Amino acid sequence: MAAVKRTKGANLFIRYLILGSWALFCIGPVLWFLSIGFRPRTEIINPQPIYLPTFSLDAWHMIWSDWPMAKYLRNSVAAIFGSVAIDLALAIPAAYSLARYKYRGRDDIGFYILSTRMMAPAIVAIPIFFLFRNMGLLDTIWALMLVYAAINLSIVTWIIRSYMMDIPKELEDAARTDGASDLRILWEIIIPAVLPGIITAAVIAMIFAINEFLFTLLIASTPDAYTMSVALANFTGGSDGLIYNAIALVAFLAFVPVFLVVIAIQKHLSRGLTMGAVKG
Amino acid sequence: MARIQLSGIQKQWGDVWGVRDVNIDIADEELVVLLGPSGCGKTTTMRMIAGLEDPTEGEIIIDGEVMNEVDARDRDVAMVFQGYALYPNMSIYENIRFPLRMRNVPKGDQDRLVRRAADMVEMGDYLERKPSALSGGQRQRAALARAVVREPQVFLMDEPLSNLDAKLRQAMRVQIKHLQRQLKITTVYVTHDQIEAMTLADRIVIMQGGTIQQIGTPDEIYSDPENTFVAGFIGAPPMNLISGHIHKGIFTAENIKIPGLNMQVEGAIKLGVRPEDCTVMDAKTKTSHMTGKVFSVEPTGDSTYLTLHVGQNKIEIKADRNYRADLGLIEEVELDTERLYLFDAENGQRVR
Repeated sequence: MAAVKRTKGANLFIRYLILGSWALFCIGPVLWFLSIGFRPRTEIINPQPIYLPTFSLDAWHMIWSDWPMAKYLRNSVAAIFGSVAIDLALAIPAAYSLARYKYRGRDDIGFYILSTRMMAPAIVAIPIFFLFRNMGLLDTIWALMLVYAAINLSIVTWIIRSYMMDIPKELEDAARTDGASDLRILWEIIIPAVLPGIITAAVIAMIFAINEFLFTLLIASTPDAYTMSVALANFTGGSDGLIYNAIALVAFLAFVPVFLVVIAIQKHLSRGLTMGAVKG
Repeated sequence: MARIQLSGIQKQWGDVWGVRDVNIDIADEELVVLLGPSGCGKTTTMRMIAGLEDPTEGEIIIDGEVMNEVDARDRDVAMVFQGYALYPNMSIYENIRFPLRMRNVPKGDQDRLVRRAADMVEMGDYLERKPSALSGGQRQRAALARAVVREPQVFLMDEPLSNLDAKLRQAMRVQIKHLQRQLKITTVYVTHDQIEAMTLADRIVIMQGGTIQQIGTPDEIYSDPENTFVAGFIGAPPMNLISGHIHKGIFTAENIKIPGLNMQVEGAIKLGVRPEDCTVMDAKTKTSHMTGKVFSVEPTGDSTYLTLHVGQNKIEIKADRNYRADLGLIEEVELDTERLYLFDAENGQRVR
């Protein structure tokens, strides 16, 4: 009895040790950022190892008082969530159509949608700049929303489409004979069934959007439309040199919104990432 | 109350024929089984009745009203699918309630109707579960409840039992037949399983290659087949079909000689005889019709199936339950000459 218990306990210990090490490995960079962010600037650039770091809120105060960090954060969050909302509103009906209806050129449209991701972004950077300038949208978060949505639309459509293709046709036939219209079938049967796929696609779009730099830099010429990723770049140049501790804190702040979203929907996400591959 | 008439139904996808000139008149409260091998057009025919598929030509008439232009959701037809087709995100309760919500049944009545339908198929205790938490048989019962809940004009069942194991299938068959008789709803049932067809049907429609081979009661189909396809498809094991010649009422093939048949027919012919109409003789007598070598013996408990090599043919015989024999033994067989069928050697049509 005792022996069994001991091996069980040992197993559990090893399991926790492995999982704990893995968790530490993953969270390590984040902790490192935090430790850099909350130390004085002089200490960070000191080449000697420091065993007892000094805690300092200098960088923290600096990013909030010297820069409109709250505004950047707000811009980021608004542009990201706005773009994902646009993507879902367009991608869900498009994916349904591509997955279900047969029409001439359907496969070509599918490839055309996907091909927008095969192009180097720099090719369209200048045309997009002129387009938004002519529309008077430069330097607004609306422009960012549209650009992020456009960049991600293809991948979001494609992911949702592949989930929708896994739904048996019988389900729709059943709903139709039960008296449901096309819209109600989409709303009550299809969307709930592909929810994990929709969430997966949305998270991927969010991560792409928060990392987007090139178009944001192009469109946002003043802090009015700066996002976290562009704000971050502002700390790397200028007369003050590299302000490492401030960079670390801003990077951390950029990471937080997506991290919170992923934690909140983690259950659906892990199901979503595996469900498409292995049919349950 | 619904009579279903299919008149001159054709279905074509480009050059591919799904269904060719199908005419069926299904009486109110009747249970008609569409039977045939896969790809015979039976499911397509049913989907056209449901409105999930449009016929290329012909009319679908339910209760005197032409339905061709009526959308599936307005046809008041309930369908049960082979894969159950329960909505995975909804509980069983919500699944059964779905057709009521879609048809705007008053909220106050919904709960009562859902519970009544669930009780009819003994699913009352599982209403809160999700479909994924149920066994195959329970899922199919839930799908049945969803079909009966709004008491439709017509039931359509597309191989509803083929995903279940043999024992469960038997139990569900009984349940479906009982429900249909109790609710008196016109039903079209599609299957490739002839036992299901024989046990359930008021009338069977046998289809092959998109065309109807024969329509009749199970008795008619079994004892009066129109052609070799029907003869070979119904019955387990199926009817023996032997190629030979007939001259002056005597059928001959290798090691087979049967006198006393139709005097009007001459030349090449196919003879059909069911396994249960063959009797193994104790010794060679004058009445013996064929001689063969034992190929295999399969006891099933209530009878023994014997396969004989008679010339080039393998003949299945249903013998007494105690019958046993070694391979290679020579046996004499007598046939019930009242129950022999003649078919045209070329087109397989019955010769009477």
